Amino acid sequence: MSTLKLDLENYKELLQEYIKTQDEQALYQAEQFSKQSMQQNISPEEIINVHIQSLQELYPEMPDYIQASMNFLLETMISYGLAYQEHQSLREKQLELKSEISVAANMQKTLLSTVKPDLEEVDIGALSVPAKQMNGDYHHFVQDGKGSLGIAVADVIGKGVPAALCMSMIKYSMDSYPEMRMDPSVILGSLNRVVERNVDASMFITMFYGLYNSNTHTFSYSSAGHEPGFYYYSDRDEFEEIDVPGLVLGVSSETSYTQYQKKVEKGDMIILLTDGVTECRQGDRFIEQEEILHVIKQYSHLPAQETVENVYKHFERLQDFHLRDDFTLIILKRNV
Amino acid sequence: MDFQSCVNIKKEWDIVGARQLGRDIARKIGFGTVDQARIATAISELARNIYLYAGTGKVCFEALEDMNQKGIRILAIDSGPGIKELSQVMEDGFSTSGGLGAGLPGVKRLMDDFDITSEEGKGTEITVIKWLR
Amino acid sequence: MNLTIDVTNKENIAYVVLSGEVDAFTAPKLKDALLPLTKEEGQTVEVDLQNVNYMDSTGLGVFISALKSTKEHNTDLKLVQMQERVYRLFKITGLTEIMNIDSTVQGGMQ
Repeated sequence: MSTLKLDLENYKELLQEYIKTQDEQALYQAEQFSKQSMQQNISPEEIINVHIQSLQELYPEMPDYIQASMNFLLETMISYGLAYQEHQSLREKQLELKSEISVAANMQKTLLSTVKPDLEEVDIGALSVPAKQMNGDYHHFVQDGKGSLGIAVADVIGKGVPAALCMSMIKYSMDSYPEMRMDPSVILGSLNRVVERNVDASMFITMFYGLYNSNTHTFSYSSAGHEPGFYYYSDRDEFEEIDVPGLVLGVSSETSYTQYQKKVEKGDMIILLTDGVTECRQGDRFIEQEEILHVIKQYSHLPAQETVENVYKHFERLQDFHLRDDFTLIILKRNV
Repeated sequence: MDFQSCVNIKKEWDIVGARQLGRDIARKIGFGTVDQARIATAISELARNIYLYAGTGKVCFEALEDMNQKGIRILAIDSGPGIKELSQVMEDGFSTSGGLGAGLPGVKRLMDDFDITSEEGKGTEITVIKWLR
Repeated sequence: MNLTIDVTNKENIAYVVLSGEVDAFTAPKLKDALLPLTKEEGQTVEVDLQNVNYMDSTGLGVFISALKSTKEHNTDLKLVQMQERVYRLFKITGLTEIMNIDSTVQGGMQ
């Protein structure tokens, strides 16, 4: 109570000074007063009340119609005051939610973490950056200890928390597969049944699954409606889209997936990605496939990890450092 | 509880009547301009809720006085459809009147004590108190 | 960007003309309009996508749930006049194989 009284005195003096001098200095102090009031959660009607009281004390002869008009203003401001208080409380709630989400995002990071294998024969670069706090993209490496490396790249419809929850389900199903049965077509077929049973009708997941055999240097792969990656032939210096048919996971339980195979030569690259890469926009314009390949080519002399990082930086800048969609890029390059 | 003064809410105009009566009582108890305005706004919200969602009901007032303090108690009572999710309507940002009403959280902020009971299909009863400081 | 949805009925066919973008913001609106139409037995729902210049995966999700609903309620869903960019999305995701999509694509592909 004493602080408010003090403020009233303060306000009265300020008001008096301003009426006398019409000075900018007093107005600046009024601004300070307003900020302080907000800090102390003082609502607008209280400020108007302080104004009325100051006027009454400064001008005891104040005409009735001024007094009445001030009361009218005070009544008018009550609802603004309420809206302001509601705003404050929603802001606090938002902060709470934000911190909850960041805890969840950390949990997700731990859950979905995958170790990029160090292979002598293949140089691997992998990068996944979420557009929001939680990532709806997913990539995963599995090794069988006999020279085979499984690579999964997936994208859940939508972004944020729902997408992340769905991804955790996929991760758990994948963990339960025995390491010897890593045939891409088998894995996609079985994940399709898991997704079909467990998600909402409008939810689906796209996934590319590849298996690199570093003994024979063959790459087997299947796709469940995933954004096509690229294959780079070093002898011809040419990119080719890895465009293979396959229905997204979760739509039809009867779907089966065809498996394809490629012989990988020295210097060849396998580029896997999500639509966060191909759907980059510069202003209103979508970037063209050639642009992506051009940028990859530009950095392809670097170690694979540096290549993917530089490609990401390029498109991050192109989009004014504001990602619209989760961005995942993986490059495998045969070394020897 | 014995309420001396009640206003029946049937038409939008009755909201004004309830505000007027509530403000008169608050002034007699000794509330200042700001609190009178707050009490009147709370009455508006309560009466408007009755008018919009229950159709009819009433708002009653009672002056409180014990050894230590004076205050006003307001009771809003209707036999409308009732509220199923009380915790939801008490949440900020949840508004059924298109976002412009202060809603029940607003009423709670304007007053000191707030209590609500509601039964689906039977009606709603809201009691609020403002203490004179 | 906005999406406008125009529905007209003629005998057993509901014509739905969309124009704008189908993304995370407009998809719920499309879902609300489209799903009830797929639940009226014997009805064919024909969606004209001539003026849809962008669709994201959330939009695809709406059409997938509409397709699932047609199977449950014995109705039909047909998508016509797709723009090339949108058609690519249906092609990649394998949906062209299981959906009735008119092959005259705006922009000359196919």
